[in-house]
Amino acid sequence: MSAISVQALTKRYPNGFLALKGVDAEIKTGSFTVVLGPSGAGKSTLLRLMNGLETPSTGSISIGGQTLDGKQLRSIRAKVAMVFQQFNLVDRLSVITNVLTGRLAHRSWVGSVFYLFRKDDMGIAQEALTRVALLDKAWSRADKLSGGQQQRVGIARALAQRPEVILADEPVASLDPVSSEEIMALLREICDRDGITVVVNLHQVELARRFADRIIGMNSGEIVFDGTPTEMTQSVLRTIYQREGIEDDNSLDMALAYA
Amino acid sequence: MKLVDTTPSAVPAATLPPKPRNPLPIWVAATLAILWLIIIDLDISFEVLAYGVADMGEYFSRYGQPDFSDLSRYLALMGVTLATALWGTTLALVVAFFLAPLAARNFAPNPIAYRLARETLNFMRAMPDLLLALIFVSALGLGPLPGALALGVHTAGFLGKFFAESLERIDNGVCEGVASTGANFPQMVMYAGWPSILREALGYVLYILDRNVRMASVLGLVGAGGIGLALHDTLRLFEYGQSAALILVILATILIIDYASAWLRRRLG
Amino acid sequence: MTTVSTWRWPTPDGRPPLPLLAGMTVLLAMLWLTAPVVEVDFVRLAGSFGKMIDFAAQMFVAPDWAYVPQLLAKMLETIEMTLLGTAIAIVISLPMGILAARNATPHVAVYRVTRDLLSLMRALPELVWALVFVSAVGLGPLPGVMALAFVTVGFMGKFFAESIEVVDNKAVEGVRAHGAGWLQVRLFAMLPQALPDFVGTVMYILDHNLRAAAILGLVGAGGIGYDLVMSMRLFQYERLLLIALAIYLVVTVLDRASDRLRSRIIHGKVL
Repeated sequence: MSAISVQALTKRYPNGFLALKGVDAEIKTGSFTVVLGPSGAGKSTLLRLMNGLETPSTGSISIGGQTLDGKQLRSIRAKVAMVFQQFNLVDRLSVITNVLTGRLAHRSWVGSVFYLFRKDDMGIAQEALTRVALLDKAWSRADKLSGGQQQRVGIARALAQRPEVILADEPVASLDPVSSEEIMALLREICDRDGITVVVNLHQVELARRFADRIIGMNSGEIVFDGTPTEMTQSVLRTIYQREGIEDDNSLDMALAYA
Repeated sequence: MKLVDTTPSAVPAATLPPKPRNPLPIWVAATLAILWLIIIDLDISFEVLAYGVADMGEYFSRYGQPDFSDLSRYLALMGVTLATALWGTTLALVVAFFLAPLAARNFAPNPIAYRLARETLNFMRAMPDLLLALIFVSALGLGPLPGALALGVHTAGFLGKFFAESLERIDNGVCEGVASTGANFPQMVMYAGWPSILREALGYVLYILDRNVRMASVLGLVGAGGIGLALHDTLRLFEYGQSAALILVILATILIIDYASAWLRRRLG
Repeated sequence: MTTVSTWRWPTPDGRPPLPLLAGMTVLLAMLWLTAPVVEVDFVRLAGSFGKMIDFAAQMFVAPDWAYVPQLLAKMLETIEMTLLGTAIAIVISLPMGILAARNATPHVAVYRVTRDLLSLMRALPELVWALVFVSAVGLGPLPGVMALAFVTVGFMGKFFAESIEVVDNKAVEGVRAHGAGWLQVRLFAMLPQALPDFVGTVMYILDHNLRAAAILGLVGAGGIGYDLVMSMRLFQYERLLLIALAIYLVVTVLDRASDRLRSRIIHGKVL
């Protein structure tokens, strides 16, 4: 049973834009998959569909055998953690409270509404923060941290969920190269040590090559490549990054020359 | 080699797009016309006003000697007024706390709850507090309690709308961040909602408290306790000295509350 | 730490943060102390529910349709009072705003005096001013318009003053550099920058003044207020229902219009 299974998935937004044009994929448990592609390829949409942040127009998604639909949303979201490009932390809350929001789906909501948490939840949060090396910042306000640190808090929040899957939507797009390296290494380490399935959206080809077990290339809402980094040749990259309607793409050639 | 190419281009210069019509003069003219019609319809006689203004000087001088002999009673009444405003604001806060998230598009669990909450808040806002005070007085009898209830219900509508609008302005990403962990409605509200708007919310509460102190001093006119009734009586009996004293007491209190709330808002922001 | 309960707050000591606790305690203490003053009596409240239901039931009688013409006339009067009072106030508050702005006032003393004057004008609720003006110029809509204008000047004057104080100085210097006179600088460099916020504020003021105008009749200053109170006092529920409905409709229409206008401005379609 795959960790994530996606069948014939399409997504048309209310404004008419067809973001996904029929996508099939099986993500193996414990694997590290990178989704690569240009802007507008549908990478974000695919990931957000897997977490229930968007609903598909047609097709189905199942996580660990459980089909994703409205009623199961909370229990599935408990299993599937998400890391965002803009970190999406609650600025005014402390780092540890942000991490604790990862525990919200695991308890009945009565205590959490009063900001009360059980000791074992606090323990899990502490563990997660130690894992991302930010325990000393536990009581700081989330918005007082640097970009790289905030993303680590985002990952800690994801870890606090004790998830089966971590989805990362362009997690390093807003970060400098050093922080990017740090974050990708952290995600890879989590995948290796904890056996958590990780799916990451990236647009940096180099990072994809270095960290992924498997690369899914997307262009214009379709999967155009599915294989290992070594199978990703220059011509494959061309297919992934080609732009519609532009025959002699100078920019594409230049970018690929340095990829 | 020329650094700047100054040869005239082969393409003729584009003509300016047609000048957009400026609607402003029309609006101004229409407004003036409407105002003129209103003056006629309300039968506002500038003569009366002119005489009034002339008289006004003499009239206001009658207030020149405030009579503070009953000051302790006035202060007691003002105290009742302030307490009424406090209770009213607290009631409004409690009601708004529960209704506002339902009335915010990005938090409401379903469209029906959203519509219902919005309409309820609108209804509470539209009913003048005076009318509500009248109704509560007829049900509870005279005194400050119906005033507090009236203020509470009416301003709950305002506070609820302010809160809901603030909640709707929260960055979508923050809400998604919390939602992606599987949080349900109450959790979303408590973690992504209120913390993000705390400063604004406190500002609104202070504003409403300020407003309620003003309204509370007036609700006494319909028997809902407080200093308004005293003022009404003294004016009706043409006791200008005492009226002046009452007005000054009300004025002083409102100014103090204004300063205090502005100071508090500065400390928060 | 095993004696501590298993529930904790996400703070270093496991307890809620001090400002929160202090604030809540102060608030609850104040409420507790003032409860008898406000005659808060939950028993009495519970008991009165019956009366309120009765009242609500009594409201739903056949409306007094013969009253409609007078109702419409009074509502129109209320709306007119609102518009006129607000318009007059805006005209007066423009020069007042200039005088009350630190960067536009001719002299610091003028600035201080004007600011205090505006503060006083808006301190008292309209109804109090209406009471005063009624005993000065008699009954009718005139004292109502005056009361509305008076308080609105207090508010708009301050608003203009604050808008002028935050204008971009570069524009002012630009106009000044071209030799513009005192008044021209204010008219052409300062005021236009304050304009976009102005429309939103006017909508808000109209909204507020309409509600205020609806009750000024209570003291004889015109509008529907008098009929409102009288119909309560005389138990004329068939009229009260119509009055409440009329007020609700007018206020709601203005509310929606103002919302829509404000969102159009925010999205840049007007101005």
